Amino acid sequence: MTQNKYIGKAIRPREDQRFVTGGGLYLADISFPKMLHAAILRSIHPHARIVSIDTTEALKVPGVVAVFTGEQVRARSKPLRSLVPLPVEAPYYCLAWEKVRYVGEPVVAVAAESRYIAEDALEKIRVEYEPLPAVIDPEAAMNSDAPLLFDSLGTNVLWHDWFTYGDVDGVFRQASRVFSDRVVIHRYASTPLETFGCVAAYDEARQYLTLWTNDQRPGQAMPILSHSLGLANAQIRLITADIGGGFGNKRKPPYLVLAALLSRASGQPVQFIEDRRENLMALVHACNGVMDLEVAVGADGRLLGLKVRDIADEGANLLNPTVHSLLKLGNITNCYDIRAVRFEGYSVMTNKCPSGANRGIGKPFMCFALERMVDNMARRLGRDRIELRRQNLIPPESIPYTTPTGSLIDSGNFPETLNKLLSLIEYQSFQQEQRNARSQGRWLGLGLALAVEPSTSNQSSYILTTRKRNASGAAEAAMVRVESDGSIQVVLADVGSGQGHQTAASQIVADELGVDLEAVHVSPFFDSLVSPWLYTTGNYSNKFAGTDVGAIQGAARKVREKLLSLAAHLLNTAREELELMDGVVRSKKDSNIRKTLQELAHVAYRDLLSLPPEMEPGLEGRYYYRPSLANLPDEQRRVRNQLFVSNAGHAAVVEVDVETGKVSILKYAIVHDCGTVLNPVIVEGLVHGATAHGIGAALYEEFVYDPEGNLLTTTFVDYLKPTAVEIPDFKTDHLESPSPFTPLGMKGVGEGGAIPAPAALANAVENALEPLGVRLGDLPLTPERVWKAVRAARKKTD
Amino acid sequence: MKPAPFRYYRARSLLEAIDFLSGPAADGKLLAGGQSLIPLLNLRLARTDALIDLNPISDLSYIRKEGAEIAVGALTRQREMEYSALLAKELPLIAEAMPQIGHPAIRNRGTVGGSLAHADPAAELPCVLTALDGRLVVAGPDGERVIRAEDFFVGLYTTALSHQEILKEVRISLARRPVGWSFVEFARRHGDFALSEVSALLYADEGADRCSSVRVIVGGSVERPLRVASVEKLIQDEVSLGLEGKPLVQLLKQAESYTETEMRSSVATSEDSEYLCHLTGVLVRRALESAILRWR
Amino acid sequence: MKAPEPVKLSTEVNGASFQGEVEPRKTLADFLREDAGCTGVHLGCEHGVCGACSVLLDGAVVRSCILLAVQADGSKITTIEGLAEGEKLHPVQQAFLDHHALQCGFCTPGMILATVDFLQRCPRPTETQIREALSGNLCMCTGYVNIVRAVKEAAKQLKQL
Ligand SMILES: Cc1cc2nc3c(=O)[nH]c(=O)nc-3n(C[C@H](O)[C@H](O)[C@H](O)COP(=O)(O)OP(=O)(O)OC[C@H]3O[C@@H](n4cnc5c(N)ncnc54)[C@H](O)[C@@H]3O)c2cc1C
Ligand code: FES
Ligand code: FES
Repeated sequence: MTQNKYIGKAIRPREDQRFVTGGGLYLADISFPKMLHAAILRSIHPHARIVSIDTTEALKVPGVVAVFTGEQVRARSKPLRSLVPLPVEAPYYCLAWEKVRYVGEPVVAVAAESRYIAEDALEKIRVEYEPLPAVIDPEAAMNSDAPLLFDSLGTNVLWHDWFTYGDVDGVFRQASRVFSDRVVIHRYASTPLETFGCVAAYDEARQYLTLWTNDQRPGQAMPILSHSLGLANAQIRLITADIGGGFGNKRKPPYLVLAALLSRASGQPVQFIEDRRENLMALVHACNGVMDLEVAVGADGRLLGLKVRDIADEGANLLNPTVHSLLKLGNITNCYDIRAVRFEGYSVMTNKCPSGANRGIGKPFMCFALERMVDNMARRLGRDRIELRRQNLIPPESIPYTTPTGSLIDSGNFPETLNKLLSLIEYQSFQQEQRNARSQGRWLGLGLALAVEPSTSNQSSYILTTRKRNASGAAEAAMVRVESDGSIQVVLADVGSGQGHQTAASQIVADELGVDLEAVHVSPFFDSLVSPWLYTTGNYSNKFAGTDVGAIQGAARKVREKLLSLAAHLLNTAREELELMDGVVRSKKDSNIRKTLQELAHVAYRDLLSLPPEMEPGLEGRYYYRPSLANLPDEQRRVRNQLFVSNAGHAAVVEVDVETGKVSILKYAIVHDCGTVLNPVIVEGLVHGATAHGIGAALYEEFVYDPEGNLLTTTFVDYLKPTAVEIPDFKTDHLESPSPFTPLGMKGVGEGGAIPAPAALANAVENALEPLGVRLGDLPLTPERVWKAVRAARKKTD
Repeated sequence: MKPAPFRYYRARSLLEAIDFLSGPAADGKLLAGGQSLIPLLNLRLARTDALIDLNPISDLSYIRKEGAEIAVGALTRQREMEYSALLAKELPLIAEAMPQIGHPAIRNRGTVGGSLAHADPAAELPCVLTALDGRLVVAGPDGERVIRAEDFFVGLYTTALSHQEILKEVRISLARRPVGWSFVEFARRHGDFALSEVSALLYADEGADRCSSVRVIVGGSVERPLRVASVEKLIQDEVSLGLEGKPLVQLLKQAESYTETEMRSSVATSEDSEYLCHLTGVLVRRALESAILRWR
Repeated sequence: MKAPEPVKLSTEVNGASFQGEVEPRKTLADFLREDAGCTGVHLGCEHGVCGACSVLLDGAVVRSCILLAVQADGSKITTIEGLAEGEKLHPVQQAFLDHHALQCGFCTPGMILATVDFLQRCPRPTETQIREALSGNLCMCTGYVNIVRAVKEAAKQLKQL
């Protein structure tokens, strides 16, 4: 039996203590004697052939130690590996070779005594380019005469595939109405406040590379690194410390390779940290795209089937294309009981910054398209938008419910989520409020969106793409050690990037081992030399609940079992008679028969001859947890893309100033169901943060490329993040439908806010402007766009 | 994102700064609050061989009433203006605009002189100062001269200052006090530079029921603070204290459309100029409306 | 080009005095991080927009990434490291801790110092005033809700002192 003293409690995150005093240890704080600082000269062209590079003058700048071009890294490293094997190996290195493919692509790297000097040297480098025609629009990039990013691929379409689930043609034939729409999503990014960085120290004498980084997926970085550098995994040590936010953006193996090469060449440690401009130009943008959506509706308003054609604009992304499309299979039917689905996906390259993981990956777009469509259909069917939703929700009694694509909705109560949402936003009284406002010439609107939030990747995107088993399943690892003095050490593989993993882990371990929270020390570091880890290790896919908890619990249980067995031996008692409570193993019958953790640790590490003869010394548990739900695609390619499904409902009340187009959020309500709540303080914070990302994407943030492919938003003056004034207070409520399939009933929590928020806001703005018949186009809903939409509607009615 | 190298000169007095400018730092730039200059240097969008730091000049930071004038030293921090009781009383238009400049940390460093010399058309102070018909006292190797705000802002980031001159002081006459005033701004986010902004001032003689003069100045998406002469005339001719209800609404609508017309002829037409012209019209109307309300 | 002459700098950081020379172009942020060891000064944008590098210069909040180190001559600087009195956290720090007004912690030092400056000027703030005062400090993690709560609480605590 384990105690339940900490799980579920609102425990203030322990990490916060060091952060409020300036004691965080972030990548930029890692420094070594003789460390060099790297800076990168980047492409000013969206697409060009590199004719020549002259670095002579740069090398003469005092303080410059090494300068690398694409030719030089090509001589010293193998091409970077794509996570999704491509038909042809595209020659792509950490610096551009032969060609540049987007504005901001790294071309030359300099390592110097300071970043100031390195930047001085960049100005002395001469690169001659022969500009090539660029392709910016993904649909244009699909044309056979489009300029090619990689000639060797023969096309810009990296992937095209289609999936049919259920009797799609049948339901579309039977449908009484078919609605179709074209939805566009723009480029934005979560832009963690700390930019990406790394420090590489190559030790020639030992042929050993130590890399400090804030890459949030060290498990995946490692094989890429070792392949490119020609080093064995065992010759590389990867360490992360405090990570200043990740949200999927913080992954960039090319920079790790580059820093390692510079360190190897110079014999000195090399630090590379993106500056904000580099971050906005070249780290990662959320995948933009175009979606054609068709919905078949029965005479009674039942949603019968969907057809989705999704074009994902990968930019120059070769690391992980297809995932932006394929993860949509996890929420394509959202929380609705829709039995037939066709999905056709394209991953297309364009001359833009590589697309990549960003809070929710693809799912915010899918949810946006469908939840906007539901409002649209309700309007055109003359149905109430709430009732239309309610009618189509998956009924609670059907849960666990398998969607046509094979996703398992393991838990949840959607009607209840909706009910709570309506009462939280005071839906009833709003109707009157809206009428009153309208009579005073004020345009108020209420919009809502529901969302499922699948979490914990099953890596099925790889298999669905290539039909090869490049990787499969889900897992994470952890280690728990009772040290020789009885103190408790926890080492995580996924240390998080601000989600309070150390606190959550200590809650779990304290309960498993029956000790005080304070007795549990959780390392803030990932260290490949110390932490158990595997390919799936890292902070992504909202997987803490799905895999990390199991690993932590499993490791703690191993130690617990050993403590009990050892105590049983020492106390000469049956193992079953003993319990572990308050840091003591004692007899359930007579509490005087006891051994403290210290006493047991003493035996396990020092008084080794007191151990049972067959027992291994030490009190260490390592556990690699693998959720049993993970599966392979079946013959119809149904798969549990992500394994556990949280859900959320968002509702916003907005006011639109029709004269200026300004949208103000007056009220914002969130109902969230992530199963068992391990720590409400942490959960609430994550829900707030994710929602703010959704609001930013809906109203403010946009990477703008001009038609030639120049990025116009390269500073925080042009790329607008919402501030405390733009983000409203949130009213939140929770529903706890525990997952029957995770160790504690927890489900993912980090993405839920980002998924429905854009749809809720766009729906609210349209609702506000309903009497004018306004239809909104592209996000973000800038004042100018809203004003133009109002004007267009007025012109129509005139 | 680090600046390129430069030499650094600390000016302890205005004269010393002028000497630096015509001597060892002839190619240099003046550094006041640095809130516009240093970001540009960090981004390497601006560069200079030398910086002359004006901050050590202790006697250029003040807000004083001198007879029927307010004098503000060029190095006065924007935050001091924001919290100045004297300005709040004597020049409420300035007080209304100050909190809209960036954020507290920016205003703690940014100076009045820096903002004016930088001449960003989307900044608040050039617009407000032009509306108040302020005068800028400028010092150079040949002594001082005084430039009217209207003549000071020449174009986008360009002023009438010669390279060897330093803005020393701003003077605003209190001889005529506006009976109605308003500063209205529209920005994408709180604290951002304005997409569009308007300063409106109504002057009327004691007890009079009509305006003796009106000033309407627009900033933001224009090259330099723009006087909307047609609106000024319209309001001067048509507004009376008693005007209210529908006729007032109609008049203000007219002001809006006059503004749009003037804007169209003065901004480069582009995709978004349409919106900006419209927006400016709306803001002019709103500014006038609130100025008229204050008059009452 | 010959490297420009270093410039004398005499300043006080968290009570400790610094006398030495710096390169003119070195930003105050880099000086504080590298020469004074105050790594709680974070760099989030280096062009004055995010507020992560905020410090108190003679008691007023400023952005150290758009100030030069040489400009701190003769000034007193307080960074997040110098805010607590020994073990006792400053009431603003305590309120951030109590309200979990952070996640990754990267914006936190700047947020706290901006709040300290703000509450000196405005001891009884409304929520709108709080939000406006902090609008120059970006947080990518929290959605600001808990930060606003913490500032309200800190205002109460400071009033009682
Ligand atoms: C995030 C952010 C937001 C901002 N938002 C706004 C805003 O909303 N509205 C707004 O108006 N401003 C805004 N600013 C700019 C701010 O107000 C600046 O302080 C101001 O524009 C320049 O003043 P400064 O004293 O900092 O000048 P500096 O940056 O030091 O100098 C600017 C220019 O003026 C010259 N100069 C300075 N002083 C003199 C002088 N006395 N004589 C001659 N030339 C001189 C300099 O050589 C330089 O070319 C913002 C800045 C930032 C970083
Ligand atoms: S780092 Fe200084 S404001 Fe962003
Ligand atoms: S806590 Fe991460 S940026 Fe604010």
